[in-house]
Amino acid sequence: MIKLLALTVLFLLTFLLLFSQNLSAQTTPEPPPLSMNEDNLQTKTKEISQTLRCAVCQSESIWESNATLAIQMRDIIRERLLAGETGDEIRAYFVSRYGDYIVFKPRFRGINMLLWGGPFILLAIGMAVLLRKLKKWTARPEKEKPEPLAPIDETQRQRIEDELSSLK
Amino acid sequence: MKEFRAWHLFLLMGLFGLFFLFYQGLWGDPTVLPPVIIEEPAPEILAPVLYEGEPIRLSDHLGKVVVLNFWASWCQECKLEHRFLLALKKRFEDNPNFVMYGVNYQDKDHLAKAYLEEHGNNFEHMIDMKGIISIDYGVYGVPETFVIDKKGIIRHKQIGPVMGDVYSELIEKVIEPLLNEPVT
Repeated sequence: MIKLLALTVLFLLTFLLLFSQNLSAQTTPEPPPLSMNEDNLQTKTKEISQTLRCAVCQSESIWESNATLAIQMRDIIRERLLAGETGDEIRAYFVSRYGDYIVFKPRFRGINMLLWGGPFILLAIGMAVLLRKLKKWTARPEKEKPEPLAPIDETQRQRIEDELSSLK
Repeated sequence: MKEFRAWHLFLLMGLFGLFFLFYQGLWGDPTVLPPVIIEEPAPEILAPVLYEGEPIRLSDHLGKVVVLNFWASWCQECKLEHRFLLALKKRFEDNPNFVMYGVNYQDKDHLAKAYLEEHGNNFEHMIDMKGIISIDYGVYGVPETFVIDKKGIIRHKQIGPVMGDVYSELIEKVIEPLLNEPVT
């Protein structure tokens, strides 16, 4: 059982290590744009807008929405890109104003870690329980040893011998 | 009875924690979003005024308690709270440490002015045509009201109209205590 628990913990640690590396790779600051012509400004605005939730709409990004607030947010993204800010800096600005709600992909920190890791933790627990049960089900049953007989006294022994001799 | 081990307890506590979070999520109001800007320095504002005058700069009011009310002429709830805002300004108009501004949001000048003429006005208003101020303050819609302390920190955010009990609590629990705080 201890081995099983150790394996589960190892699995979780590996997962968290890989995942955090993956996330840190995602959050590595992008280099500032060297030149921003209208085409790549529009592409970059679209890319960032698609990751931000329209605060006054139902499950729409600010790129898809035509709400005034979404349009104004797109304008702000554009202005900030022109000012040399990166996508991550712009997203961080909106999160600082509206909270994690504004991004479609919650950040890997605080209670959000539970959101990201929760399903995997539950999966690991489920696997550990299942493995334990399987181990029990597939284990060979030990050969039943006969229970040691209680010692018999002289009278009983004599009676058995008499009965055996009467059978001959 | 099997032996009850420490890991059983941790597992139970973990599962209980997850179920508790899930249960809380079931009964929470999905329309209520926790404001993240509270206790943060108020973003600087430099905005034109609705009527004639110099642009308003928020940092000019450091050392004073500032109330910012985001409103629009098309907003029905703003009409409901308007008389309370007029009363709020009137109540503290003699206090030199109290400043109140309206921030006109997603509106047109002439409609905003017509609204104020109809409903009355006793405080200054700035214009936020491009939504720069409102987005900087994390505003979702109108009306929203912010109270900024003498150090320039946002201490309160009211989503929805300031009226009735909200009005009384805003004065007694937020504005008056902040006005009584010393400037350090």
